[in-house]
Amino acid sequence: MTDINKNNIDNITENNKDEIKIEVKNLNFSYGDYHLLKDINLFFKKNSVCTILGPSGCGKSSFLRTLNRMNDYTEGSKLTGEVLLDGKNIYSKSVDVVELRRNVGMVFQSPNPFPKTIFENVAFGLKIHGIKNKQFIVERVEKCLKYAGLFDEVKDKLHKNAFSLSGGQQQRLCIARAIATNPSVLLMDEPTAYLDPAATATILDLIADFKKFYTIIIVSHNIQQAGRISDYSGFFLDGELIEFSKSGDFFTRPKDKRTENFITNRF
Amino acid sequence: MLKLKLNHKDDLFKFILSIFVFGIILIFLTVVTVILYYSYPAVSRFGIAFLWTKEWDPPKEIFGAATFIAGTFMVTIIALIFAIPLSLGIGIFLEEYCPKFLKGFFTIIIELLAGIPSVVFGVWGVLTIVPWLRKYIEPFFKSHFSFIPFLQVTENIGYGILAASIVVAFMVVPIIASITKDSLAAVPKITKDGALAMGATRLDVIKDISLPFSYRGIYGGIILGFGRAVGETIAVVLLIGNQAIIPKSIFGVGYTISAVLANTFTFAVISPIYASSEVELALILLLVSLIINIIGRNVLQRVIGGKLSRAQFGGG
Repeated sequence: MTDINKNNIDNITENNKDEIKIEVKNLNFSYGDYHLLKDINLFFKKNSVCTILGPSGCGKSSFLRTLNRMNDYTEGSKLTGEVLLDGKNIYSKSVDVVELRRNVGMVFQSPNPFPKTIFENVAFGLKIHGIKNKQFIVERVEKCLKYAGLFDEVKDKLHKNAFSLSGGQQQRLCIARAIATNPSVLLMDEPTAYLDPAATATILDLIADFKKFYTIIIVSHNIQQAGRISDYSGFFLDGELIEFSKSGDFFTRPKDKRTENFITNRF
Repeated sequence: MLKLKLNHKDDLFKFILSIFVFGIILIFLTVVTVILYYSYPAVSRFGIAFLWTKEWDPPKEIFGAATFIAGTFMVTIIALIFAIPLSLGIGIFLEEYCPKFLKGFFTIIIELLAGIPSVVFGVWGVLTIVPWLRKYIEPFFKSHFSFIPFLQVTENIGYGILAASIVVAFMVVPIIASITKDSLAAVPKITKDGALAMGATRLDVIKDISLPFSYRGIYGGIILGFGRAVGETIAVVLLIGNQAIIPKSIFGVGYTISAVLANTFTFAVISPIYASSEVELALILLLVSLIINIIGRNVLQRVIGGKLSRAQFGGG
């Protein structure tokens, strides 16, 4: 597992590209009587972008939240099966959830900056993980803002409130915040859902660039976007994983009729 | 001449209702006018010095509000010192930690507590808080902390500023706690999730996200609690000892504005200037409560009523 003090951005590891980063085995997730995820089995390769597609309510967001244990807070939920991150089950008792989430960053559907300054937003993760070296924090904040393509726009107002930024800038700030703790996986829950086309294009370019450093899993309902940026695509319907394959095959030769219907907009 | 269209039943109904509303405004204005009118003799005779004159001597016709103002603010401040941490703790627990099935139950209990008549609280205080202070707390402070100013025990009777403050604190807790809970509930879930997803603990989220997001609401709740404590009457009458002296210690007896009005206003009418001085006390209380309530409601409206708008954080 990478250390928070190092920086992925500086140590690109292209050599082990085909290694499996996350493997999901027989994952079932239910909430009360509602069986949300049914027997999910799939894997994500290192430094790849994968898009999870599906209509609203198919369980794709819930699935994403099982990968960093955000479902821990859902009262009355039950999970069985395994999620192996670098070969280690994240649901085993010895796993430190705080460290897990340091390593698995998340970007949400709508920009959710904290009620703090731009600088403090990016430094938040470092602070809660106990980093006190000011020089290190300043450098990391700057670096992350640069990688999120935001630094030039905010360098003169780092100590202004994050809510003073536009929606697209806020979302890039949230991305900078998510990479500040030096994760190896980025989860993105419809990261462009509330952005205008120009801001969306900026984020998509970032994602394409980021796979050098991270394993990226995106939840989306936008088929064109998925086809453009992802190496792998999966299709969820009613809590089941219908199909999962390389994006090229997924979009040109879908094996399942339901996948075909979805990608040709028949839902 | 007002031209009314009463063609429809709807218009008639609306007209009747607007008379009711007009009546409420009229009552409010009447209260203010009457208090101003009857306090005028005292205001013109004693002037602004009324506020810091300590004597309250009806036979000699010397009247000053200082003792009552001091008593009122001591009770209010001490009550808030007890109530604020307790209320914040309850509000935070209910919103952030409490399991769902218990949250509803506790919320109802808090609302019931808010609905208990204050005289019942007063009686409870006389039966429990007063003997407890007399038997345990006051002797303890007398033997251990008598060198600290404001904590000296002279009479050891249980009644006094502290007894009144403790009971008023219990009456204020439901107000501040429920507003704290509602303010915390208004913090967007996605923002809290954002912090949790970074590895923040629940305590980090409360400290760094929820409280900064909702401090205005909590502040408004505290101001409303202050308003309640300033005006609280019957429970205080039963507990404070009712002596027009400025207390030198929290264990001392005292008097508040509302308590002296409740106890003596019916006798005061025998002398016009005595009565007028008491009405001036009522005027002070009225002004303080009005100002506090206006401030408190304004703060709250911006937070809970008007949603937590992102704009209010803008331009930081």
